[in-house]
Amino acid sequence: MNTNHILSSFDRDLEGVQAHLMKMGGLVEAAIHDAANALENGDTELAEKTRKADRNIDALDELINEEAARLIALRAPTAIDLRLALSVLKISASLERIGDFAKNMAKRSLIVNAQSPVDGVPQTVRRMARLVEKMLADVLDAYMRRDDTLAAAIIQDDEDVDQMYNGLFREILTFMMEDPRSISACMHYHFMAKNVERMGDHVTAIAEQVIYLTTGQTPGAQRETRDLTSIEPALSAPEDK
Amino acid sequence: MKDNRIVERDVDNADIRINAKGVNVFYGDSHAIKDVSVDIPANAVTAFIGPSGCGKSTFLRCLNRMNDTISICRVTGDILLDGEDIYDKRVDPVQLRAKVGMVFQKPNPFPKSIFDNVAYGPRIHGLANTRAELNEIVESALRRAAIWDEVKDRLDAPGTGLSGGQQQRLCIARAVATAPDVLLMDEPCSALDPIATAQVEELIAELAENYAVVIVTHSMQQAARVSQKTAFFHLGSLVEFGETGQIFTNPKDPRTESYITGRIG
Repeated sequence: MNTNHILSSFDRDLEGVQAHLMKMGGLVEAAIHDAANALENGDTELAEKTRKADRNIDALDELINEEAARLIALRAPTAIDLRLALSVLKISASLERIGDFAKNMAKRSLIVNAQSPVDGVPQTVRRMARLVEKMLADVLDAYMRRDDTLAAAIIQDDEDVDQMYNGLFREILTFMMEDPRSISACMHYHFMAKNVERMGDHVTAIAEQVIYLTTGQTPGAQRETRDLTSIEPALSAPEDK
Repeated sequence: MKDNRIVERDVDNADIRINAKGVNVFYGDSHAIKDVSVDIPANAVTAFIGPSGCGKSTFLRCLNRMNDTISICRVTGDILLDGEDIYDKRVDPVQLRAKVGMVFQKPNPFPKSIFDNVAYGPRIHGLANTRAELNEIVESALRRAAIWDEVKDRLDAPGTGLSGGQQQRLCIARAVATAPDVLLMDEPCSALDPIATAQVEELIAELAENYAVVIVTHSMQQAARVSQKTAFFHLGSLVEFGETGQIFTNPKDPRTESYITGRIG
């Protein structure tokens, strides 16, 4: 198929909305990175900066929604163009949610930094966040290259995030039982871990959109949930959506 | 719960009205239609799309033997209407065209009264025995073409005095007056304004309840709006034929994708 439209302004519109999506993706990657570093290093300034930077992500989300709506109204896109407009809307929504989770992580790190740290937990949360950050970078790459194979691999990667979360959940539980004074901090750590786990789910949703955009098919079989904490009654954690 | 609007478009189980197999058309030495096979469902709208010169109108004209009027035109292959070969020697093309009506790009009412425009077909085919029967046929055709209310008080006025959109609906009334099984429409809205276009499109949807409608259109949005099945023609070949929703969201052939998204194939 030819890549260019006869009407070149249509191409410019499509490029414009995708450029904003990629810019948004870059900001969200940075937000995950900074929130995790702020937590690990107890960097209050960086946490504050990350918290404030979320408004730029939200502004881009609004802009992308507007551009996609105009594209649909004015260009009446079909086939690959239609799938592009729809996937841009969904990916933008996922990125916006990931941004919110990063912002929430930064806020909580400001609170836990003021308390005595719990050994090893911030490092594990940071490792989880690194993994999700890498997945996000990969999925944006898969989007730009229209690479559904890479997107499918990223969906598999999310299992590692879920496993890390399960391990961390038990670890945090142990800390709280050993020393009730750590409960407050541990609760915050747990929410941060859950935030990162949810980011992974949104990256998976983006990967699914890449597959839809590229192939026209939505990946059918739902991946089994690996967040065992929500199905093992003895260890049940509250659902954080 | 299944969405009704989706169900409405589900015509896969519909009966096949026209079955074309391996149709080739030659204009002298030029090979205009290349081995086209397509099944036109009953009670549904089938759209033919494709760039100018792709053969969609030529193929449409094969379906009621309009190409017979062109001396250098030769048609091979089978076109069956309800199982009967329309190119069989025993088939009278005039009778065939009463069964397979046609509406053209430019409204072309006869220079006669509105009544006589619609009564023309039923008269020559002897469909009415009495004046009362003829009146009934004309009224019912005008009603089915959604123009009765606008013309019922001036049936004796000339058809050519109506507005463009009304003239086109009058032509549709003329086509349905002979109780056809199939209605062929070649760019029926290209000379109409958006309001008249919307009225004709609404009419097409209503007509599809009783007829197999085949529409040739250059407006892909029109094909998307009115049809349940879409056929994409390119350089005389049928490239892709499928459910309209599938063609417009996820076409299988890259040439279809290039064409409908406005990138030339």
